[in-house]
Amino acid sequence: MTFAYQKSFDSYVVDALFDALDEPVVALGDGRVVFPDSEKEYDAHPNAGILSAVIHPTGLGVITGGDDGRVVWTSKDAGPIELAAHKGAWIDVIAVAPEGQVIAYAAAKKVHVLDLLKKESKTFTHEHSVSDLCFDPKARKLYCATYNGVVVWFARIDEKQKPQKLFWAGSHTKIAMAPSGEFVITAMQENALHGWRLKDSKDMRMGGYPAKIKSLDFFAKGKLLATSGANGAVVWPFLRPNGPMGEEASEINPLEGSMVSVVAGAAEETILSAGTEDGRVWLAELQSTHVEWIKGEKGAPITALAISGEANRILFGDEDGVVYIFEHAE
Amino acid sequence: MADTAHSSQKTPVTVLTGYLGAGKTTLLNRILSENHGQKYAVIVNEFGEIGIDNDLIVGADEEVFEMNNGCVCCTVRGDLIRILSQLMKRKGRFDAIIVETTGLADPGPVAQTFFVDEDIKAKTYLDSVTALVDALHFDEALKTDRVVKEQIAFADHIILNKTDLVDDAKLDEIEGRLKGLNPLARITRAQRSFVDIASLLNQHRFDLTKLEEIGHDEHHHHHDHNPAHGEPGHVHDEHCGHDHHHHDHGHHHHNPAHGEAGHVHDEHCSHTINPIHDEEIKSLSLSTDKPIDGIRFTQWLDKLLAEKGQDILRAKGILNVKGENKRLVFQAVHMILEGDLQREWQADEPRVSRAVFIGRHLDTAALKAGFEATIAA
Repeated sequence: MTFAYQKSFDSYVVDALFDALDEPVVALGDGRVVFPDSEKEYDAHPNAGILSAVIHPTGLGVITGGDDGRVVWTSKDAGPIELAAHKGAWIDVIAVAPEGQVIAYAAAKKVHVLDLLKKESKTFTHEHSVSDLCFDPKARKLYCATYNGVVVWFARIDEKQKPQKLFWAGSHTKIAMAPSGEFVITAMQENALHGWRLKDSKDMRMGGYPAKIKSLDFFAKGKLLATSGANGAVVWPFLRPNGPMGEEASEINPLEGSMVSVVAGAAEETILSAGTEDGRVWLAELQSTHVEWIKGEKGAPITALAISGEANRILFGDEDGVVYIFEHAE
Repeated sequence: MADTAHSSQKTPVTVLTGYLGAGKTTLLNRILSENHGQKYAVIVNEFGEIGIDNDLIVGADEEVFEMNNGCVCCTVRGDLIRILSQLMKRKGRFDAIIVETTGLADPGPVAQTFFVDEDIKAKTYLDSVTALVDALHFDEALKTDRVVKEQIAFADHIILNKTDLVDDAKLDEIEGRLKGLNPLARITRAQRSFVDIASLLNQHRFDLTKLEEIGHDEHHHHHDHNPAHGEPGHVHDEHCGHDHHHHDHGHHHHNPAHGEAGHVHDEHCSHTINPIHDEEIKSLSLSTDKPIDGIRFTQWLDKLLAEKGQDILRAKGILNVKGENKRLVFQAVHMILEGDLQREWQADEPRVSRAVFIGRHLDTAALKAGFEATIAA
């Protein structure tokens, strides 16, 4: 298999992303941000590591959170710019509001909401550590996955508010919002998803996984949710008002003896890619059920994966620090 | 599953416990400041106490939560799962991880975290639970807070600290009480938390493949760096010639019934310093030279841990199973049980089955009877 790009950075690939112009960006465990197309590389967190990364709300460049407590915006041309710093904290996760210039990031029990235009910041403190964050599509509410459920804050009003709680016993480690804004889904410590239909807070239990779910991604215009945590990629339908309730999940391309570690779907199309714990990557077109190997050779676990907006490029990286770009022949 | 990496490729984790004032912070500062050729990531609770600025120190929140997996006592540390997963992105920057627990913490949830979370299990291994014990305030602490006993009972390495502040007779008495609470642990004497840092690592106390012997006789390791007796920094160990360290395993002078059919050795067989037993937490060593019925033993142990696992802090065993040339080894942390056939018995090795239980309210008679009933007919 030949790749359009393949390079070893010798550091854990924390995240792989495409920005609004379909420019690939990679965040590395040793603090570097890499733009493979232009071969540019910046030390965004010197002598520290990157724990989380998102595309900047302008669509340009990447915002990273580090174990140096810093939140840094790195663009291809301007390089790194510090947006915030919290001494002694680890910025575990960052989320970007779909509208406006607002980001939220979590450091243990504190979630900071930062308006990049107004340069205003507020802090929501939780009873337990926050593992993941997401905004609703209108950026009104911020959903914080934590122990015993999800804590929901109005993102634009001050910190004195009493947050809403979506309760479900256990530790919730990942969160994703359906693009329709109707459902929020969490991954739990116990090899299961949990979901809430937001209009009536109805619980949805989505279990049956053999392993912990570390990656979830809504794709195909929000009609499908893909997750890791099984031998294949698990896909849940969100085609009806009830979402996945009463529906069955499908497992795409299950491979014996190997687990999917990360999934990424095309935003607009029924195209799904998955990386495995044993270093392989495949691409599936769900309507034709065609599965194509992007990387068939085994290797270090795939830790990051992204499909470009045009769905013609796939960017991924592994635990040993090798970054690949696959380009689809037109 | 991802849990295939050999333990040598995984990062070792040492859990450090000890009551308030036992010397944990002093030890951590030494670990971080001394040039010992090892790089540590340290997960601490009282952030401000560490006097050294180091980018690999991280504060934790001691967030204990229950797993919804049907195991009633299965509590884990959620913050540890999060921090360790993040630390794995910096692999290569450190050789080992040390987790400090607060002086008031029960070590159970910390230890269970390493067996319950599959990612943590795939990337790290619990190397040892090391407890620091303050010799000067030992009696007082033991009376004040039962967590002290739990920390001692849970440990596989006990550092008896501040030995310069009490006399030898008192040290022997403390050591007797430590052994009564926990015959599985190695005991190292220290002053001002001065122990050989390298001896904290590579203990493999939870690695069944490396389990050689059980109990107080498994501590014949890691003494090569010890300065001579009387020199500064010397750590007292079984080589110094203190008479309380002589273990004579062939000599079961307390047990006249030894050698008779169905005889079960208990912990009184082999100690020349008598362990002193506490009422609430205690240990029980069981052994027999008759072969064990493997199926019956497994059923008994499963049932025992399912029913009493909340009160059983640690258990370890090496068994001679009838019709099996390999040693059956097991260990348990509360209800979490790991067992496996290990290496073959050596020709010159006595085929003795031995199991040690440490827990609260242990029903000694019932445990002995249960163990005896697993002896193969």
